[in-house]
Amino acid sequence: MSELETVRGLARAALASLEASRQRIDDLNVYPVPDGDTGTNLTLTVRGVVEALDATSAGDRAALAREVTRAALMSARGNSGVILSQIVRGAAEVLAGAGTVDSAALAQAFRGAADAAYAAIRKPVEGTMLTVIRELAEEAVDRTADSPADLLEALVRRGEDAVARTPEQLEILREAGVVDAGAAGLVELVRGIAAAVAGAELPQPAKLSEVPQEAVHLEPSQYRYCTTFVIEGEDLEADALERELERLGDSLMVVGDRSALKVHVHTDDPGAALSLGTGAGIIEGVEIADMRRQTEEREERLLEAVLPRVRCAVVAVAAGEGNRRLFERLGAARVIEGGQSMNPSTADLLEAVEATGQAAEEAVLLPDNPNVVLAAGQAARLAGRPVEVVPTRSLQAGLAALVAFNPERSAEENAAEMNSALEGLATGEVTVASRYASVDGIAAREGEFLGLLDEKAVVAGPSFPEVARAVAEGLLAEPRDLLTLLTGQDAPPLDGLLGELAEGHPGLEIDVQEGGQPHYPLLLSAE
Amino acid sequence: MNLTAANTALVVDSTADFPEAPERFRNWRVVPLYVRFGDESYRDYVELTPAAFYERLRAAPETPATSQPTPGDFLAAYEELAGYERIFSVHIAGKLSGTIESARAAAGVLDSPERVRTIDSGSASAAIAMLALAIQRRLESGTTDEEVDTLIERYRAEAGLLFTLETFEYLMRGGRVGRARGWAGELLHIKPILTIADGEVVPVKRVRGNRKAFLEFATAFEADTHDSPSLRVGIAHADAPERAQALVELARRTRPAAEIDLVTTLGPVVGAHAGPGTVGLFWFDDPGS
Repeated sequence: MSELETVRGLARAALASLEASRQRIDDLNVYPVPDGDTGTNLTLTVRGVVEALDATSAGDRAALAREVTRAALMSARGNSGVILSQIVRGAAEVLAGAGTVDSAALAQAFRGAADAAYAAIRKPVEGTMLTVIRELAEEAVDRTADSPADLLEALVRRGEDAVARTPEQLEILREAGVVDAGAAGLVELVRGIAAAVAGAELPQPAKLSEVPQEAVHLEPSQYRYCTTFVIEGEDLEADALERELERLGDSLMVVGDRSALKVHVHTDDPGAALSLGTGAGIIEGVEIADMRRQTEEREERLLEAVLPRVRCAVVAVAAGEGNRRLFERLGAARVIEGGQSMNPSTADLLEAVEATGQAAEEAVLLPDNPNVVLAAGQAARLAGRPVEVVPTRSLQAGLAALVAFNPERSAEENAAEMNSALEGLATGEVTVASRYASVDGIAAREGEFLGLLDEKAVVAGPSFPEVARAVAEGLLAEPRDLLTLLTGQDAPPLDGLLGELAEGHPGLEIDVQEGGQPHYPLLLSAE
Repeated sequence: MNLTAANTALVVDSTADFPEAPERFRNWRVVPLYVRFGDESYRDYVELTPAAFYERLRAAPETPATSQPTPGDFLAAYEELAGYERIFSVHIAGKLSGTIESARAAAGVLDSPERVRTIDSGSASAAIAMLALAIQRRLESGTTDEEVDTLIERYRAEAGLLFTLETFEYLMRGGRVGRARGWAGELLHIKPILTIADGEVVPVKRVRGNRKAFLEFATAFEADTHDSPSLRVGIAHADAPERAQALVELARRTRPAAEIDLVTTLGPVVGAHAGPGTVGLFWFDDPGS
């Protein structure tokens, strides 16, 4: 076989090996940018080299080396592709000048490859392809007495070992629970070449079990729950069951025999899947994993790897599940359950502030109720680090303050920004009179709705939409950009209120959220 | 060596969002990145215009991916500029893209690698174009490496940038949300105001509603600049021409003496990471040119 044919064969083997692991390597990709394309980039880079080799008519080894180098440069995709192109260049330059390509020449080629790769990257990072190519070079230099096939086989083993150690070298990999994608790809490439030199079939790519469960499930599924169970019974029909399960989701797998079937399905309705199972036999070994949660947790870990500690965290007091979620989504680190008639103690507040100590240097406390402001001040003084209280007197004010939060600023700067965000904020509430009451000259009978504007009663009556409208119109008495409505637990319907408000106040942006707070069917704010 | 527009060339990548540069300056080249929809790959601007890109983004729920130019793409540009003794190759922040690594790899295989100087702008979009324009102004009157060094250092420290997004979805999906991760909060009409510092997306402020976001741009721009003909301004938008126009008027009204360097659309590659509706305001006071 001519030298060109040999090189073509090796490049094709490298490509085939990479292709086989492309998806797995994409899934591993978290560094330097977690965009999941390392496997694809490496594959495209090598494919470019294979295509150039197919087309070339290079007459001698030096010309061939030049063409391979240029082809790798031309097709290098992504960061990993660029590093690979340098590895190819380093190796090709050595081999162009070598006599017989024996193990000593191979060792020099790996050394040249490692040197070229390190030289091209301005700030080399360990725990990546660079580490692996360097270790391969070291291993190769120690094994020049081996045959080329034995040498390459040893390099695959050393490479696997080096890849397994990448999380020890690069924090973000450890946090994400993955090995480095580019490093893994490099080993697959060498594995393909080693197999071709040994005249062996392309071996199986590294086991899938190396990839943590959540990485496998990173392929975005439109369904939420990964559901698996075993059905035991008699005359079980896998096909029939499969047809019915297909309607519930995807990633379906039904395997086994007529007495036992293992089922795996991604679905939004695990209950329906289990019902199909119980309809056919006895189910056991039920596992239901929330894939969205897994994805979120993975992102959370990545986040912690990228952001070890922020400057400032927020602790807020809020009532209602919807409101808690709003506060959390706006970046509150801790939300303490509380509000009217259930005020958290200083100890509760302090405990929540202390709980943010790992994540943030300082904290801002939002009491969100007039009766919690003092306790919040106490907690701030007792905390062993800078904690500022922004004296928010309502949940709506707490949300408005939280919008102005920036985790990169100090507690003091955040408090100043939050206080200025509260300027120009007007708040209102609709509550239910628990007994006859006359407040601020407004009389409400038991069970009637009472409307307040900036903590003063302004309207009462039996119709919820009418009281709500009066409060909203009160807030909109001066021109406003935004009206926010937080609906309470068991709140009566707003009926046509939203439409009327939109019509009466063109240009007003209206935001309605399910707050879920007790005692107050409606909380309002305008800014 | 006296560097002039006759002996020194400028290469920017397509994320500078300055596609007409080679028509305006003989010594400029733009090297495109790639944007991919599924298996179809397009060269940024060259094979896919911003208008076609945003139309496609609206029409199809596909997620576009992007990739840096190959070293070969840069090599071709550097070879085409063989008549120039020096090349300044100005690029998107190395923390946002591997583009500059491709440029370095290409420079490394030239016969005289020192002919090319790769420069990390530390930023993206019009910020790259404005740095390259500042270098060009110096080339036109004759300059030195030392002067260019000083300029780059000052640019990276002083150039201003604010941008706001319609949604964080695109930044998150592309893995480039930087230090704004966890700060998103896509509800209550919140408009996040962000900047890029040392190649990373950094949160500046969150406000509610477009009007307040606009006021925030005005306040920050006024606080950080003074009116002068040396003040350079750039505006870039992703399919949001009215918002861009509002920023143009803001700049003209508050800093009437300033020079507007460029008003541009974010190209497919930057647009794929920022998402439609994004608008950015860039500024740099450059009294030395």
